[in-house]
Amino acid sequence: MVTDIIETRGLTRSYGEICALKPLDLLVPEGEWLSVMGHSGSGKSTLLNLLGGLDRPSGGSLQLGGEDLMTLSEDGLARFRREFVGIIFQQHHLVPYLTALENVMMAQYFHSVPDEAEACMALERVGLGKRLKNRPGELSGGEQQRVCIARAIINSPKLLLGDEPTGNLDHQNTGMVMELLKELRSEQQFTIILVTHNREVADWGDRIICLDDGALVREERAGR
Amino acid sequence: MMSALKLMPLLLAWGGIVAALARYFPARRTWLLISCASSFVGGLAGGNLLLTLFKGEIASGAVKSLVGMCFLCLWVVALAAFYRVTGSGGRSIPGERKKPYMSVASGAASLAGLLAGAICVCRLAPQGAGVPLLPLFVLGVAGALLAAVAIGVERFVPADITVTGESLLALIVSLLLFASSFSLQLDLFSPLSMKVMKFIHDFVHQFFESMLMPDHLFFRRDVWEYIGYLFGSSVGFWGALLIWFAPVILICAAIRLERLPSVVHIRQGAQRRKLLAAFIRERRCRLTVPCFAMLILGVAVYNSRFPRVEYWDPKPVAVAMNASGEIVIPKKAEIDLEDGKLHKYLFKQGGREARFMILSTPDGHLTVTLDACAICKPDGYGQAEGAVICYYCKTLIPLETVGKPGGCNPVPVPFKVGADRVSIDAMTILNRWSETVTTTSRIKGGGK
Amino acid sequence: MHRWRWLIHIVLKSLAYRQGRTMLLLGVLAMAASLVTSLGIVSSAMGLRVAEEVRKYGANLVVLPAAARMEVGSGGLDFGTIAEPAYLSQEELLRVAGREGVTDCSLHLRGHLRSGGLEIPAEGVDFAVIRRLYPWWQLQGGWPDADEAVIGIDLAARLKLKAGDLIRASGTAGAGEFRVAGVVSTGGEEDKLLFIPLAKMQEALGVGSSVSQARLLAQTGGVTLEQRAARLQSLLSGSVVREVRQVARTSEGLLKKVQLLMALVTAVVLIAAASSVASTMSMTVLERGKEIGLLKAMGATRTGVLLLFCGEAVALGLIGGGVGYLLGSGIARFVMKTVFMVSAGIDLRFAGLSCAVSLCLALLGSAGPMMSVFRLDPVRSLRGE
Repeated sequence: MVTDIIETRGLTRSYGEICALKPLDLLVPEGEWLSVMGHSGSGKSTLLNLLGGLDRPSGGSLQLGGEDLMTLSEDGLARFRREFVGIIFQQHHLVPYLTALENVMMAQYFHSVPDEAEACMALERVGLGKRLKNRPGELSGGEQQRVCIARAIINSPKLLLGDEPTGNLDHQNTGMVMELLKELRSEQQFTIILVTHNREVADWGDRIICLDDGALVREERAGR
Repeated sequence: MMSALKLMPLLLAWGGIVAALARYFPARRTWLLISCASSFVGGLAGGNLLLTLFKGEIASGAVKSLVGMCFLCLWVVALAAFYRVTGSGGRSIPGERKKPYMSVASGAASLAGLLAGAICVCRLAPQGAGVPLLPLFVLGVAGALLAAVAIGVERFVPADITVTGESLLALIVSLLLFASSFSLQLDLFSPLSMKVMKFIHDFVHQFFESMLMPDHLFFRRDVWEYIGYLFGSSVGFWGALLIWFAPVILICAAIRLERLPSVVHIRQGAQRRKLLAAFIRERRCRLTVPCFAMLILGVAVYNSRFPRVEYWDPKPVAVAMNASGEIVIPKKAEIDLEDGKLHKYLFKQGGREARFMILSTPDGHLTVTLDACAICKPDGYGQAEGAVICYYCKTLIPLETVGKPGGCNPVPVPFKVGADRVSIDAMTILNRWSETVTTTSRIKGGGK
Repeated sequence: MHRWRWLIHIVLKSLAYRQGRTMLLLGVLAMAASLVTSLGIVSSAMGLRVAEEVRKYGANLVVLPAAARMEVGSGGLDFGTIAEPAYLSQEELLRVAGREGVTDCSLHLRGHLRSGGLEIPAEGVDFAVIRRLYPWWQLQGGWPDADEAVIGIDLAARLKLKAGDLIRASGTAGAGEFRVAGVVSTGGEEDKLLFIPLAKMQEALGVGSSVSQARLLAQTGGVTLEQRAARLQSLLSGSVVREVRQVARTSEGLLKKVQLLMALVTAVVLIAAASSVASTMSMTVLERGKEIGLLKAMGATRTGVLLLFCGEAVALGLIGGGVGYLLGSGIARFVMKTVFMVSAGIDLRFAGLSCAVSLCLALLGSAGPMMSVFRLDPVRSLRGE
């Protein structure tokens, strides 16, 4: 019996007059790889932010992993983010003055206690065992994104969100990153939701949903 | 009213003791309340009994030694805890530590109550005599009530703050020491620093003797200076400070160095770390009580170094002489001469004046003396607990010796005691005053 | 306590990354702290020193005959002569002075003499004592020997005399000729007087061994000056003993004014420093918007991020305070050596003060920026707004 890790009803987000996300009903079973496609301005980033607890919905209900995000306070959302969710962004947001290892340990610090050994192992898993002590400025785009992945999953989240993670990468790095995600997912059994406008990337998932102008227009099974 | 203010910190300390006990024995609140209240009242009664039967010094000495023994107990427990943690590779898990037997616990609670009560009585007692029944009764009721309040308040203290056996003992002992630091006779820190200074002095002396060196050899000057430090009073202070704080520091160290429960059995990194973080947080909470105890001890040291003494110094009442050249003061008019307090009078006659005081000593006799002594400038006297103090040279003169001449004692004046009055010859007192004042003023700096 | 160590590590790394900004902030904080330290040290040492000087020099009591009306004069104002001349006994004064803890006693006899047809105010003094008790006398020429005189600068101008000239003065009972050894200028009433030896004045006025006033330097160990004065007054018949407040009050007054000025300057500098810190910090927050948003996205609570910034402010404050203390001590030493010719010792109290000032500045300056950090919306900052 696979439970639904995400359950939304009538989820909507408006900025004043502009409605970025029209009321959306979405069910995501645990362990699924969901791809969200759409043009820019279609509301896919908004959806991701809402799912990641970075933004508060204007209406509707949002349940993740059994928790109702509408009832959480600011600090509650922070706790939710660090224990339950890992986020990767298109622009690899890494703290510029910390090494790769320290960036991963930062996520550990906010979660509980920093553990160097565990962070080392995580970076080795993503193939950066030799680049632990390098600052983000000294790493290539693909390497930076891999550090972000390591940081995102260090706290064993149930849900991994990616906002066009391969948007800035070349073809080879994209493939590497996607392979990595697939391996990690089969190891650790988390749910992935990737936002992308690239069809190839979207095909890596199990299911694709398309958004246009804030509304869900199409849903299909991916072919991979 | 003044006594209520005096007792406030002591009662608060008592409340703290009860609250700590309640935190440690959460299941036995009613029993705790009964035993604490009764032991407090017992301490009050016992202390008062000691004060009335014996002199003030014996009673306070007894209380002091009991508190001192508790302190030694704390030392032993602290050393044991420290050894347990560091010596044999400490293997105790916090949740499974055994609570001590009920008998030990009840004994500790009762002893704490007795001591707290005794300290309160000693603080309240004027000049080491017994305390009248009414204030004692009020105090007993207050103590019992406060115990109940403390047990109730303890529920509201956040549950994170846990109390181990050692930290409970540390808190109780430090609160007792804090309470006793408010009275000069019960204070333990000064005697401790005196003892340390004496010990080091004797030790250094013996050391040099045993090395067959005469005391004052031609050392290099700076070496001698360093040796000189050992003879100063500051070595007593710092040594006593070390001994004072060491047990609580050892207990803090024991808690801090205790190995956290093992988490290696948890596979998933994040959960393991969360558990670890929880253990660390719990350990930090366990440290709050000993740290608080350290703070209390610090306040006790401060009280000891800068004691607040209130001097009883009434404004001199003007008197006049009667037709036969005598000053007559009734024993029990608006001012009761035999209430054990200092009474000052001012007598002026033809450009000359004299200040004198009448005091009832603990033996029950009345004495009349000048408000000046034979060696110091005539700055006057005030009354502290069990003694009068010369304001100029700050010497404490025990009440028993007031009326005897010599030293910095106030100059005695011949007087006649009637059935209900005291009469003093006016000329004598004026002459004596002028003599004393002129001799003392002429001395540059006033002697001493 | 892994978390604390990690926090310190991160804070230091963050400060080291933006070296320029860190150096700027450190510089501002150190400068403010050093100013506070140096002015504090100089001010407290000055206070002590002035008190010492006032105690060391100058008379602190003046004895006047009870019957005389005080000749009130202060600076340029002179309210005229004594209505009826009243005198004190010289022997009695000296005898009492010896007993009552008086270390120095300067006797003055005021009167009028005639010289060259003019009536000039004159005073008989003991020049040796004057040299000790009146160190602010500035003489052009030299101090007089026996039978020599000193003339005030205004009087010298009036009589057209200078050092080395002879002056002939006569009183009601005697006369004398004196060589002017020096010209005194003090800015006070001395500028109008002719000073001759006491004995000669007594002869000239024919008053025997009397004086019109005495200035005493009394020790104050153990008793206050008032008590001393009262006692002397009771022992000297027909006298009034008052404290000389003039010198003490003027120098204390001056000191207070200088201290007030220094305090104002310090306050202004502190305000400037605080605003500088505030502006630098808020610029930083703007720059680091993305970083803050990222931290929040990682799951940091608002207090967690705040702690980071607080830690930076505290670190800057402490380091700035330490550096400021060292700098300020050095400056204070230099000032004391050159201006006051005194070597200052090391005063550790000001270390605490300096650190406290620096911490306050750092935290106050970052208070505003930290509030905005608190309210930062991670989504918008990550998007780049």
